[in-house]
Amino acid sequence: MTDGLPETTVHPVTQSDVDSDPAASRLSSHDTGFRHLHPLSIILKSAAAIGQNLIAIVILYFSVFDRNIVYTGLVALALSTFIITVMTLFWWRFTYQVGRREIRIKSGLLRRNSRSIPYDRIQDVSLEQKLVSRLLGLATVKLETGASVGEDGKLDALLLADASALRDRLHDYKSRITADADATDGATGLPEKQERKPLFAMDNRRIFIASLFNFSFILLAIMAAVVQNLDFLLPEEIFSLKYWASEFDEQIIINALSMSARFIWAIGALFMLVAVGLLGGIIRTFIREYGFRLDRVDTGRPGFRRRRGLFTLTDMVMPIHRVQAAIIKTGPIRSHFGWHHLQFQSLASDGSGERDHSVAPCANMKEIDAILAETDIASLSDELEFHHVHSALWWRDTLLWTAVILSISVGHGLLLHSAAFALIILAIPVVIVKYLNWCHHQYALTETHLFVRRGWWRRKLTILPLHKVQTVDIAQSPLDHPLDLSSLTIGIAGGSTVAPLQIKDIPVSLASSLREKLI
Amino acid sequence: MTDMTIDPLKQMEKDSARTYNQGLTPLNPPHKSLIRLNNGIIAVILVIAAMIAESFIRGELPLAIGAITGPMAVFAVIIFTVLPGRIYRRWGYDMGDEQLRILRGYLWRTDTIVPFNRIQHIDVAQGPMQRMFGLSTLIVHTAGTHNSIVALPGLAPQDAESMRDTIKDHIRQDMI
Repeated sequence: MTDGLPETTVHPVTQSDVDSDPAASRLSSHDTGFRHLHPLSIILKSAAAIGQNLIAIVILYFSVFDRNIVYTGLVALALSTFIITVMTLFWWRFTYQVGRREIRIKSGLLRRNSRSIPYDRIQDVSLEQKLVSRLLGLATVKLETGASVGEDGKLDALLLADASALRDRLHDYKSRITADADATDGATGLPEKQERKPLFAMDNRRIFIASLFNFSFILLAIMAAVVQNLDFLLPEEIFSLKYWASEFDEQIIINALSMSARFIWAIGALFMLVAVGLLGGIIRTFIREYGFRLDRVDTGRPGFRRRRGLFTLTDMVMPIHRVQAAIIKTGPIRSHFGWHHLQFQSLASDGSGERDHSVAPCANMKEIDAILAETDIASLSDELEFHHVHSALWWRDTLLWTAVILSISVGHGLLLHSAAFALIILAIPVVIVKYLNWCHHQYALTETHLFVRRGWWRRKLTILPLHKVQTVDIAQSPLDHPLDLSSLTIGIAGGSTVAPLQIKDIPVSLASSLREKLI
Repeated sequence: MTDMTIDPLKQMEKDSARTYNQGLTPLNPPHKSLIRLNNGIIAVILVIAAMIAESFIRGELPLAIGAITGPMAVFAVIIFTVLPGRIYRRWGYDMGDEQLRILRGYLWRTDTIVPFNRIQHIDVAQGPMQRMFGLSTLIVHTAGTHNSIVALPGLAPQDAESMRDTIKDHIRQDMI
């Protein structure tokens, strides 16, 4: 199937890239070109794949094959042969080459892929040994670059000696360039007595304030889960109406069904819901943020060290040079009292893999300014001039939504019941929310920073130093063409894929000139 | 790609009144056939699906023959005949000194700029259908989360490889 197909990348550079460096000799002593992974990895991966399909086979044994061991055995044999064949083909088509400045990985059966990862871009090399691979003396090398979608480079698996040689080689390369690098890990073991005043810390009162804005229905979810899993402990009749009906007095039921009682019940239920939500928020926030403390560490590369947690204490070091952008979150009520939540957008691979880079869950602007002063990110200042985006952002959506709501209400009103005409009232909150969101979508550009505000209820201000811009997109949807509008999307390292940094609905010419300044 | 002066498409790109991709480098012409092939497959699937759906609905409701298949067939013809050319001529790329610019999209248009020194690693990929037309895709990975993978399909393999080598030289030790 794969033979005779033209190789995607036949490369003239490769020969000169390898072997000119004496350090490479350990790795590329047998052959100068591309190398395969260790053959035992076929068995490892096949075993894993067969293990995953074991359940399916067991199910088949009991269902389709009606407990016929011969048929099941045959199917299992066929499946295993298939898996091993495929894995062997994959192994055969997967080659890698350790060059002087880059690692090349060629892979794929039908869709050939040839990837080059420059050493300069590799952030982190980790070796992983699961139990089986330990017995076989193999190790998986994971290469982490900044790209946060998918894995960047995984060599699964090599002989442990080869793997550690590769890691050492990469480390050597790194340390030759930055002699004082990779000291960040040592920072966690700082002597306690030398500690200075923390950059930011939260006492219990502050955590309590923070928790008030952290409304959470997690308690409700936990309760539901407990009920679902432990229902064998409850009396069987608890879910049947008759049981409850017999428990209550008849009179109460009649009362309960009357109109005013229903109203009171509804209010009570709402109140309970709010109370549960608040309580859930308080518990969750205390568990997570208890003893919150942010320090600046200077051993090795300067960074922030954050410690927090009630039960599981987390201790994380964020190198300052990896901070991409600052995000200040707040809400209409919170900002009225002057509380803001400061987060850093940073690379996903930091520390223990924690994705939440929140550095001040509940702080006033003065405290936030003090933290930002430690980085190269500017804070808000009064002379900043924020610009609005095109008003089409709210009226175009409003028109569309109103048209939809109108057609629904008229359709139902004519066909079902005239009361359905009242559905049109729903358009009012939509219009208001859209308008408020437009009012709060603003941007400002200085020589060095881009400020973008989004959202009215969940207010989010992103402060991005221009030298951290990765890509810039100008996108136009079909609706944008008549108005000549466009949206500017800015790619930053880390952060979410779902809600990227965007300036919506600005004229195309303005978007192009903004892009000129951004890159 | 230099000896295509007789290509009417190339002429059209040069005509400033009709420049759809703002004068950027167009993709390798076989890519248009690839888009057409892909769209043709989609069109056939859509028409078959419409026929199945129609035969099911006609069992339940009185419906004129071709009430679903007809419009779907028109749509299928459009995406097979008209659309590939329009999609193709909106594609364009530009290898600048410092950045790669990619323009794409017919109704939903996107214009992406990736500075070379932001690129983390580079792929050159080729699918089975692309192999039939002798095309390759250049994929650059940046550290950005949104748009961290920018793909440029429809390149001649040697172009894709030379672009990769150009970009590779720009990747230096300036850390994110």
